[in-house]
Amino acid sequence: MNWNLFLTELVAGISHGSVYALIALGYSMVYGILKLLNFAHGDVYMVGSFIGFGIIGVFGGATNLSIPVWVLLFLMLLGAMLGGGLLGVMIERFAYRRLRNAPRIAPLITALGVSFFLENAAQLVLGAQYQSYNSFSWKSPIALDHFTLPAHTVISYAEVIIIVGTIVLVVALTLFVQRTQLGKAMRATSFDREAAAMMGIDVDNVIVATFFIGSALAGAAGIFNGIEYQQVWPYMGFTAGLYAFIAAVVGGIGNLPGAVLGGLTIGLAQAFSIGYISSTFSDAVVFAILIAVMIVRPSGLLGRAAVQKV
Amino acid sequence: MAEKLLDLRGVSKSFGGLRVISELDLHIDEGEIVSVIGPNGAGKTTLFNLVTGVYPPDAGDIVFEGGTLLGLDPHEITTRGIARTFQTLRLFLNMTVKENVMAAAYGHTRAGILRSVLRTPGMRREERAIAQLAEQRLSFFGQRLMGYRWDQPAFSLSYANRRRLEIARATATNPRLLLLDEPAAGMNPVETHEIAELIGRLRDEGGYTILVIEHDMHVVEGISDRVVALDHGVKIAEGSFEQVATDPRVVEAYLGTTAATTK
Amino acid sequence: MATDPTDPNAPRVGVDEWVASHEQRRVRRAGLLGVVERELERVPSPAFYLAFGVAAAVVPALTSNGYVIKVGLDTLLYMLLALGLNITVGYAGLLDLGYVAFYGFAAYGYAMLASPKFGLHWATIGVIPLVVLATAILGFLVALPSRRLVGDYLAIVTLFFGELFATVYQNGEHMSLLGLTKAKDVTGGPNGIPNIDQFHVLGARIGTLNYTAYYYVALIFFMVLLLAMYLVDRSRTGRAWKSLREDPLAAELMGMPVNRLKLVAFACGAGIAGLAGTIFAAANTAVFASEFDFTSGLLIIVYAMLILGGAGSLGGVILGALVVNVSLEVLRTPGHATWVFYVLIAATLIARLRPWRWFALVIAGTAGFGFAVHAIVSAAWPRGVHGQAPVGGILGSGLGHWVILPSNPMTIGNVAFVCLVLAVLALTLLSGWIQRLAMIPTLYLAAFVWENRLAVEPSITRLILVGVILIVLMNARPQGLLGTSRVEIV
Repeated sequence: MNWNLFLTELVAGISHGSVYALIALGYSMVYGILKLLNFAHGDVYMVGSFIGFGIIGVFGGATNLSIPVWVLLFLMLLGAMLGGGLLGVMIERFAYRRLRNAPRIAPLITALGVSFFLENAAQLVLGAQYQSYNSFSWKSPIALDHFTLPAHTVISYAEVIIIVGTIVLVVALTLFVQRTQLGKAMRATSFDREAAAMMGIDVDNVIVATFFIGSALAGAAGIFNGIEYQQVWPYMGFTAGLYAFIAAVVGGIGNLPGAVLGGLTIGLAQAFSIGYISSTFSDAVVFAILIAVMIVRPSGLLGRAAVQKV
Repeated sequence: MAEKLLDLRGVSKSFGGLRVISELDLHIDEGEIVSVIGPNGAGKTTLFNLVTGVYPPDAGDIVFEGGTLLGLDPHEITTRGIARTFQTLRLFLNMTVKENVMAAAYGHTRAGILRSVLRTPGMRREERAIAQLAEQRLSFFGQRLMGYRWDQPAFSLSYANRRRLEIARATATNPRLLLLDEPAAGMNPVETHEIAELIGRLRDEGGYTILVIEHDMHVVEGISDRVVALDHGVKIAEGSFEQVATDPRVVEAYLGTTAATTK
Repeated sequence: MATDPTDPNAPRVGVDEWVASHEQRRVRRAGLLGVVERELERVPSPAFYLAFGVAAAVVPALTSNGYVIKVGLDTLLYMLLALGLNITVGYAGLLDLGYVAFYGFAAYGYAMLASPKFGLHWATIGVIPLVVLATAILGFLVALPSRRLVGDYLAIVTLFFGELFATVYQNGEHMSLLGLTKAKDVTGGPNGIPNIDQFHVLGARIGTLNYTAYYYVALIFFMVLLLAMYLVDRSRTGRAWKSLREDPLAAELMGMPVNRLKLVAFACGAGIAGLAGTIFAAANTAVFASEFDFTSGLLIIVYAMLILGGAGSLGGVILGALVVNVSLEVLRTPGHATWVFYVLIAATLIARLRPWRWFALVIAGTAGFGFAVHAIVSAAWPRGVHGQAPVGGILGSGLGHWVILPSNPMTIGNVAFVCLVLAVLALTLLSGWIQRLAMIPTLYLAAFVWENRLAVEPSITRLILVGVILIVLMNARPQGLLGTSRVEIV
């Protein structure tokens, strides 16, 4: 048993899965409230990644930082979460708000349009080539590239940051949703929008908050992806968004723990497929998992079947 | 001796922890009009859903014309001869009145895509027959759904006409058993009276056996050969209208215990 | 308020018949336009389809410009794709986001069976039906596990399928069965570079390298399928599909086998895409996997065509494909594109600024504003106006004096683009005269962005435009140009 490969892929899977989980949370939250698949969500992740890239540039570039690494990381996260959240709010306000009561196909197509627009606008403004974070040419005693576990397994520092960061964000989100007034309002609205409105909840505000939080998480995911995998390019949101989507669906869309579980599942499935079979087949494996879950448990691993009143 | 057209034996259904129907025995004979009454939440629409195959029962059997309905898809049950209307209307709103009714003839017609494209004589004959069937079913309601109405989109109909259209659509499947779910809901007294008459005519002229869920006791009294009362998924009374209406358990279910004891 | 019910001329508001006769009570447009409108409504739609067919058939006779014919062929292929998608989305109401994969599958399938790739050169008359059938079966298989899925889930599954397909074909140069058999080159997939397959052209009879022959092939197939769809629309299956779109549960309970109908719709749509794929492969003599993935925009473009024309409407398929593809083609050359851009803006303004003085005011204001700014900038920062307008002739030189054209437009153009997006969004929030006033700098900014960035990179601009079309369309007129507005059961 090759422990080295196993552990490496395990950690890679968990860290990549964490990135998916963060994006999937945003998808799930929005779907829970609006029953809308926000295709543009992946592109918010992309924008977050680019914001991080920009911030690195502002402070001198990867090889010549003018501030400590931790401060930079914090700023990047802050910037991406704020920027991403703002972008999400704008998208909701201008593209989706009018379509709240339209036939379901309308917001879906609009979301496709927004996604496509963002991807190509990014290509226009930022260029089509791959950019890179070059994270670990950072000169700082803290930024150890990696450390070694038993069995000579190499785990990068970035992976640890990702996993820890995701845990922190997910815990914060859970506390928010369970304990705060707004969180309760969000849950109520996702059960029954009309009833929530009649109970005095400002549904518009709740929706805006949902988009903000979900998009902020996507922005954070963009930063996390950047520090580990380095590359940013305009179409990265489409691919990652697709996988995160599947993660949300596999876990049970509309269901927050499900999104996290789904993200980890997909991340691990990908990592192990790439490690043990090949990268081309990892897509096929993910597809197979999706189909299997759809057949066996159509509402997802942790989802509740929506009871349709006839 | 009329044979049992539909026979439910020991049927139970739960949703999650909630027992919605409990060991129900219910039958309806050919040519009868049976009304199902009970307070809201008694399981009446669930009963219809079970019979039409929307979901399967947890226990028990549902037998129609001697054959079991369990395991069949809803469209198969419809082609066997059971059609229904819905408590909340479910018309094909963007299709015309006539198309709504013609669509329901699918189950007993045969022309496939190929024959439709080639316009074979057989297909054209069938189309004419379907159109005629639709016109005939719609004519059942007098002039209300005739003439220029045929080509109007269904969403332009008034509420009462929509209910009528839904009944017309259901009859276009050529059923033997009609399940009408609160056909008089939301209607004014004149319309309600019309519906009651209509149900009688459906049985007399159309030959349908009819199972009706209804809240309006005037309608129930006027049309029913037999009344079944449900409460919390259990049959609490069965018999003629007078028998059921005065049954203390029924009164209690509708009005509460104090009313029952004061009777 | 009481109206005399015996008076035949009194408005019978609230009475059933009044509501029911709303179709006859539509507002009649006055004058010539109204007469034309009414007459057009009387013409049955097959006449329009026929007219289109005749017009299209005549085009290659009118021009020998190979480029025009190629654009025509592309448009016809798009129409075929939109027609197939119309069955899946417009009739059965199933959101298939992997549709383009069927197109690619068929193109590759044809390529594999009629090229030196595997040394197979099967006769056209056999290959086309075979590939179409295979694609239809593929559509059936894809729909099979998803048949119980509600629309959103189907969208995801099909989207992923589409991407999976593109990836597999892109990487198909070492395909082995789970590492057990030896790696073989199945799809000629690239190492990150689009692959080039050389094919023989299809059949000896149509053995020519110019596109005219394929244009007619596509046109004939399209007209035949259009007629078929028209007939299906008026048949039992068409009614069943429409019922399925309206309310699947009610349809099932009215005796229509919903699952089976979904599968058939999917397969039919896929089959049509398959047909289009074979024509595409033969006409272009080469296929690249990258043409069928999401980033190529093919899926979005086909959807834009379908939605613009009006999903569910056959005439809409024709109109949507024409409008979108022609617009996209025009956008390829900066010269033509610039004219269209300004004409379009002018048209939008005319349509939206109703009292004509507003229109005149805004135009004059923008012009004046522009000249003023230009003058200030050329005085203060000479390099700001040294750039070249991408379009020549009168328009170009005129623009050169009005729009600021920095000699290095990249960065400032990008910033301006972002500002423009924000400005347009902000415009939608304003109203009244403030909005009109704000239009002036926004229009100038738009011209600036266009000249400096958008016109310069037409390939990206056309894709951006498609995205914008979809967003605006769904918000303003979701039923498209020829569709009817729909009521939906929630």
